[in-house]
Amino acid sequence: MSATLLTPESPEVAEPEEAKPDRLRPILATVWRWTSALGVALIIFSILLLTKGANPFQALGDMFKLTFTSSRSVQEIFIQMAPLVLGALAVAVPARAGLTNVGGEGQIIIGAVAACGAFLFLGDSAPGGLIIVAMFAASMIAGALWAGIAALMRLWAGVNEAISTLLLNFVALDILLFLIYQPWRESRTGQPTTRELVDTAKLPVISGTQVHIGIIIAVVVTVIVWAVMRYTRWGFKIAVAGGNAEAARRSGLNVSMLVLSALMIGGALAGLAGMIHFAGVEYKLRPGFGYQLGYTSFLACWLARHQPFPILVAAFVFASLSVAGDSLQLDSSLPAATINVLTALILMAVLGWTAKRKVSV
Amino acid sequence: MSLIVDVLSGGVRGGTSIMYGALGETVSERAGVINLGTEGSMLMGALGGYIVCVETGSPWLGALAGALAGAALSLLHAYLVVWRGASQFASGLTLLFLALGLTSLFGATYVGKPVDGFSRWDVPLLSDIPVIGTVLFQQDPLVYLSFAVVPFIWWLLFKTRAGLLIRTAGERSESLTVHGYSVKAVRAGAVTAGGFLAGIGGAHLSIAYANAWFENMVSGRGFIAVALVIFAVWSPIRVMGGAYLFGMALALGSALQARGYNVNQFALDAIPFVLTLAVLALLGKKTVSSSPAELKKVFENAPPT
Repeated sequence: MSATLLTPESPEVAEPEEAKPDRLRPILATVWRWTSALGVALIIFSILLLTKGANPFQALGDMFKLTFTSSRSVQEIFIQMAPLVLGALAVAVPARAGLTNVGGEGQIIIGAVAACGAFLFLGDSAPGGLIIVAMFAASMIAGALWAGIAALMRLWAGVNEAISTLLLNFVALDILLFLIYQPWRESRTGQPTTRELVDTAKLPVISGTQVHIGIIIAVVVTVIVWAVMRYTRWGFKIAVAGGNAEAARRSGLNVSMLVLSALMIGGALAGLAGMIHFAGVEYKLRPGFGYQLGYTSFLACWLARHQPFPILVAAFVFASLSVAGDSLQLDSSLPAATINVLTALILMAVLGWTAKRKVSV
Repeated sequence: MSLIVDVLSGGVRGGTSIMYGALGETVSERAGVINLGTEGSMLMGALGGYIVCVETGSPWLGALAGALAGAALSLLHAYLVVWRGASQFASGLTLLFLALGLTSLFGATYVGKPVDGFSRWDVPLLSDIPVIGTVLFQQDPLVYLSFAVVPFIWWLLFKTRAGLLIRTAGERSESLTVHGYSVKAVRAGAVTAGGFLAGIGGAHLSIAYANAWFENMVSGRGFIAVALVIFAVWSPIRVMGGAYLFGMALALGSALQARGYNVNQFALDAIPFVLTLAVLALLGKKTVSSSPAELKKVFENAPPT
């Protein structure tokens, strides 16, 4: 009996349109799930704050006020949300084909490394537009190839992609560190970083704000992914392969190509996430670049049940929590990482309460 | 010669915390549960061990507290995946975030506090043996403990009834049910025991290796432990060798740099991972086929292509 518990259900195949009243119920269930999970998590978090001598009402109140009323924080949420959305889509597309991509962390880094490499190759004097285009292309190709290693290992040697993508994260991190500590290091004496991206190649901001256009890119890509999943032959085929590979093979689908393409597209999306984080926020590579972005994206995708539009909501929630952590540090002088407790509690509430109805990896 | 001794000795010193984590992960995975929260258990162990060591002055009590803190976090993983049927990957990562948050919340006041942790203790006579003595017997007590823990875990897994139950939970859980055992209880026990070991590994970092606590001090060693288990094909003995190999790769860079060689540490750091990937690619089917069968179900959403 418990064996079945551990066997993850395959991602659902796009269902035909249902009648209207039936569509309302899952929405209400979702709303209920989120509010109750949030409530319980907040209560436990408050108790923890109490043990540290902080007044939870004041700390949380200030945290929410600072996070959602200051225009600076709200803008920061949208800035942080963009790579999370793309990183989560990078998990969702392979998941549709029945693949577990735990390699977002590495693919994001490789995407940023390729973007930075494209910039360093073209040099400061190249036109900004050219650098941006080159960075987009380089990051997506590099991310796709990086994930492709895992796909090929699965196809040729039967190595599971969850293992290989996880291992590749560390290789990617070491490549990043190798480059910024030696060949790409700006100066021998200062911090180990690369040269800053020229202003003309930085992602433009949405006028009147400090939010770079990454969020627009992320939303557009979400719509594209949704449409591709729902309306194209390829989207249908990978869902079939993800549902039952044997049946798919017997009905004449090239399952190997579908595995390869789904994982590589996932990698390209993660590479893109790395690129917009690089060209929109960081402008240079440093040792902690993109730290935990990939794992956070994985959880955001899981929370959204691998569905494109819910991913936007989940990414918003995670980005808000991250900004709330900074607010907490400013207001209550607790470490910013404290907010991870609240994030984890929310996830645990959702994991514990809803997993039985639908298990997904 | 002194370079080789330095690297070997550093490999043992630095590899020990990873080894404890990987031994814990081995027990857990043998029962069919992958725990990405091992990194979190090590963090809990590092802080738990540090706090108790600072407050009581006893490193042994610290190591015990670290082990219990690691076990507590793994118990949550066991609850979520065994009883609530949650995704093992999502649950493990969630607990990592929980541990990151808890340890930074409760660890903030301990940053920079002096600790009187384990100190090096040379084993009489044995430590005088050239090379081997320096490498293996001029270490801290938790390293010596690990010399006993590795064969113990091997014995536990392969020679005892408990080990048989754990392995059956990982290979053919339905036959446990047939014989009236609770698969859930066995898995939960194995996962929690795994967290206990990972907690010791964390405590080794904070009160024997670094003698300090700082935020996120485990910095990926728990994930290395997860990778190491695959590299070691779920064998505790090979985990030991693998951990020292990972440790040596970490020690080689600084040993070379200390002698004036200009090497890049990170190229060396990548070696164990690239090696693991290469081994998997070459022996992939063999390695994967020797993994616990129930674990394969976790990995495989779809039948193998």
